[in-house]
Amino acid sequence: MYTLYFKIAVRYLLKHRLYSFINILGLAIGVTSFILIMLYVNHERSYDKFAGSEHVYRVYMDFLKGETFLPGDAQTYNLSGPELKKEFPEILDFTRFFHMEEATIVYDEKIFEESKGKMADPSYFEMFGQKLLKGDLNTALVEPNSIVLTRSVAEKIFGNDNPIGKTLSVFWGDNHPLKVTGVMDDITKNTHNKINYLISFSSINSWRQFKNEKEPNWSFQNYYTYIKIDQKADIDALHKKIIESDIDGDIDERHNIEPVEEIHLRSNKPYEIEANGSITRVKFLTTIAFIILILSWLNYINLSTTKSLERAKEIGIRKVAGAQKKQLILQSLLESIILNLLAISFAIVLAIILLPLYNEFTGKELTFGFYTLKSILPILGVILFGMILAGVYPAILLSSYNPTKALKGKIRTSSQGLNLRKGLIITQFMATIVLLIGAIIVTKQLNFLQEQPIGADLSTMVTLKGEVLNKQNDSILRKQFKTLEAELEKLPIVLEASLAQTYPGDSYDNLPSFTGLMYPDGTEDERIPYFNYTVQPDYFKLMDMKFLAGKTFLPTSKGRSNEVVVNEEFIRVIGITEPNAAVNQTIQFFGNEWKISGVVKDYHHFGLKSPVVPMIFLHGLRRDNLLVKLNPDIVSTGGYRDMIRQLESKWTTFFPQSTFDYIFLDKKFQAQYDEDIKFGNAFRIFTALAILIAALGLFGLTSYTCIQRKKEIGIRKVNGASIFKILKLLNIDFLKWIGIAFVLAIPIAWYVMSSWLENFALKTSLSWWVFVLAGVMALGITLLTVTWQSFMAASSNPVDALRDE
Amino acid sequence: MLLQLNNISKWVHSGGQKVFLLKDINFWVHEGDFISIMGPSGSGKSTLLNIIGMLDGFDEGEYSFLEESVHRLKEKHRANLYKQYIGFVFQSYHLLDELTVKENLEMPLLYKKIGGSERKALVADMLDRFNIVGKKDLFPSQLSGGQQQLVGIARALIASPKLILADEPTGNLNSKQGEEIMEIFKQLNNEGVTIIQVTHSEKNTAYGSRIINLLDGSIV
Repeated sequence: MYTLYFKIAVRYLLKHRLYSFINILGLAIGVTSFILIMLYVNHERSYDKFAGSEHVYRVYMDFLKGETFLPGDAQTYNLSGPELKKEFPEILDFTRFFHMEEATIVYDEKIFEESKGKMADPSYFEMFGQKLLKGDLNTALVEPNSIVLTRSVAEKIFGNDNPIGKTLSVFWGDNHPLKVTGVMDDITKNTHNKINYLISFSSINSWRQFKNEKEPNWSFQNYYTYIKIDQKADIDALHKKIIESDIDGDIDERHNIEPVEEIHLRSNKPYEIEANGSITRVKFLTTIAFIILILSWLNYINLSTTKSLERAKEIGIRKVAGAQKKQLILQSLLESIILNLLAISFAIVLAIILLPLYNEFTGKELTFGFYTLKSILPILGVILFGMILAGVYPAILLSSYNPTKALKGKIRTSSQGLNLRKGLIITQFMATIVLLIGAIIVTKQLNFLQEQPIGADLSTMVTLKGEVLNKQNDSILRKQFKTLEAELEKLPIVLEASLAQTYPGDSYDNLPSFTGLMYPDGTEDERIPYFNYTVQPDYFKLMDMKFLAGKTFLPTSKGRSNEVVVNEEFIRVIGITEPNAAVNQTIQFFGNEWKISGVVKDYHHFGLKSPVVPMIFLHGLRRDNLLVKLNPDIVSTGGYRDMIRQLESKWTTFFPQSTFDYIFLDKKFQAQYDEDIKFGNAFRIFTALAILIAALGLFGLTSYTCIQRKKEIGIRKVNGASIFKILKLLNIDFLKWIGIAFVLAIPIAWYVMSSWLENFALKTSLSWWVFVLAGVMALGITLLTVTWQSFMAASSNPVDALRDE
Repeated sequence: MLLQLNNISKWVHSGGQKVFLLKDINFWVHEGDFISIMGPSGSGKSTLLNIIGMLDGFDEGEYSFLEESVHRLKEKHRANLYKQYIGFVFQSYHLLDELTVKENLEMPLLYKKIGGSERKALVADMLDRFNIVGKKDLFPSQLSGGQQQLVGIARALIASPKLILADEPTGNLNSKQGEEIMEIFKQLNNEGVTIIQVTHSEKNTAYGSRIINLLDGSIV
């Protein structure tokens, strides 16, 4: 019997190709979107899960702002780990990291630029469940100046040679000769704490850069601290004890902990190791995934119930031949399962084909491996369940037809069935309009962000970076950089150049902050973190930052002084309302007195997602970045390539033994929105797919309605109805339904999108025209979809329609 | 006695008024009868046939089939009854377009849960009997009207019913095809199958043993 069911189902699908195609395509698009989105979502949710990860926590600092503590710094002191362990027996162990974003490794005169190195305690391997491929786990990170490489870094540097015991040079500030003591597996991509090589933490004792930190102290929050907690411990109680303890003796800050598994999606503190993901984004995408999937099911139900009218005759014959309701339901379900399985298979193939494109798009490396297969199994479960559910209603509807009426072709849409279909279509439209509004607002917000003045001009600016490998004394090197700066300014392509510690849009690495400032009026402030960086007097002109009062530092022969420039936010924080009143005032920090020489207008250092922070510019000579403003006129004619070549040749004449690197400032600044832009793209694409699904459904539905009403149309035409009248007759319902859907969609979209905008410090408005535009678009798409077929039906010869009778 | 209808009435409400489709029908059928129901359009012929075939209900009266009171039976029981004893033949054949001739014949057997080998044998018998073995793998749309009706009759017969209800079985056929179909009915009747047909054609009534004339829902 099942073979017969199967046979009839297949033949039916083949006979009604358009119907099957629309149905399968709609479902497949829905399922493909769902799979792709859920792969991404699963990946985002899979961060930092390793054996024992549920007991590993990261320590971070809260700062007192007003009366409440707020997360202030993802980094801690180098004493935090050891002291916490001493204080709380529940803490089994700690691992500290010092993060080095970029460094140059030299071995055998070959140069390698390596990112994401860490200094780490020996407890690293145990805590993070990492194994060594070569070397001894227990000793690898014990001796100062030891280095453990990941497999791919080791292969890159040493090829097939055994790296153990060899010495290589890491240039990080200075040249540090390090001995390779181990090789470990590559770190998985889904961790916030990506590592390419590990240097023993004890090395800080011998590195000049850490001369003030040799003895663990409560002075520098430069270390990431992770702790492992006894699995029997009451974590809530421990958490309470930690935040209430005052182990560093500073009442304006406190230590806090968070599960390592939650960092990627839920933590967004200053000084994160990398820009983390966002739980809002994940939730949004999950919702979109389900909306699309449900849309495609609604579509399916809609099409198959409509189509079932046509099958009434078949049901009648079967009933007369003795079929029972149960058997008919079973048959109908089997058909829907076949159709859905086809759609799923199609969807999986589609997903596999689209995956490389999707990866490029999301910047992830998602794969269909065994692991992913396991992780999408529940997804497929959800899909299958939904499909069966979607098949049940048409099945029950179909099996309940009265046979005599069915045979006479008297089954017409019951008002109940009609209401259901109306409901389905309105729901579909509603979801589509909500997505449309969402897509428009996301686009609007991203455009808004990119058009915002950031308070500094980053166009045609590059920073030159590179590691000088044969360097002597640092002060000599700084002088060389200063001369290079002057040389570059002589080039016709260069408008200006200046040395600076960092620039807007750069990572947190080069931007220190401190607490502990005495206001001009003698108020001591221990609460607010003040960000600061060191620049030259011409930095502000170079960056086109505007002075509200005062001026830049007076140039000195040493290239440094006790003058500082502050921003608007700074004087607001210390309670000065009039910028002029701040000029020449003295503030104290770092145990010194500093004179404010000028106040600059606020600018966005961290991008427009974060609010403006109080900023202090120090006068000094740092060679971290050699900022160069290129002549925009030459850029527009000659392009960048030749200009970079000129800069590089100057660089290499100064530093023959060095690496050379450059970054465009505006691109780097824009990169902060990469994730948002990707999210915006995803939103738009999946919205388009949702619309496509809805349109397919409409298309199917209209083509069916036209067939059903063929006779009616014929009679009306014979009696003098114009084509336009017929079109109106056929389309008016859809217009009404869109109207209802639109009204329902507005509050939902309003609520959801306002909550999304809460993520931004600067937000665009939810203008009325966004909603109207979405409504008009939905209307346009609908009319386009239904009009063609309606027109064909309306303009057909009525005689053909009536002859059938 | 195969079946008996006592004072059967069926009506619908239209504009607040009762409109009788059938009124006070008394009617009995013995096994082996060949009955023709005649009457103008709208006189209730098909309604009566559907009631006899248990496809339709009625509002008043009693209906017993093989000593069972049909109007008191539950739906499932009733379905079993007609599955076992009644076969239908329609004016427009009502074959399933997606199934071949063979599969169309097989369908009622499936619903009676008859085993595979027996099904095959029964289908083969039918194909043989109606001389359509060569057509067994064709779809209905590939057959002429007369051939389709042959398949329709074969399908009605395949479960060896006691009663065949035919609603204008020759209505869509030309006169030669119609005659052939009627000959087959005659032959079936000779073999003991009870037949009730609805027809417009005086010629077709000649094959039957009894004529019932309906007018406005009543027997005249």
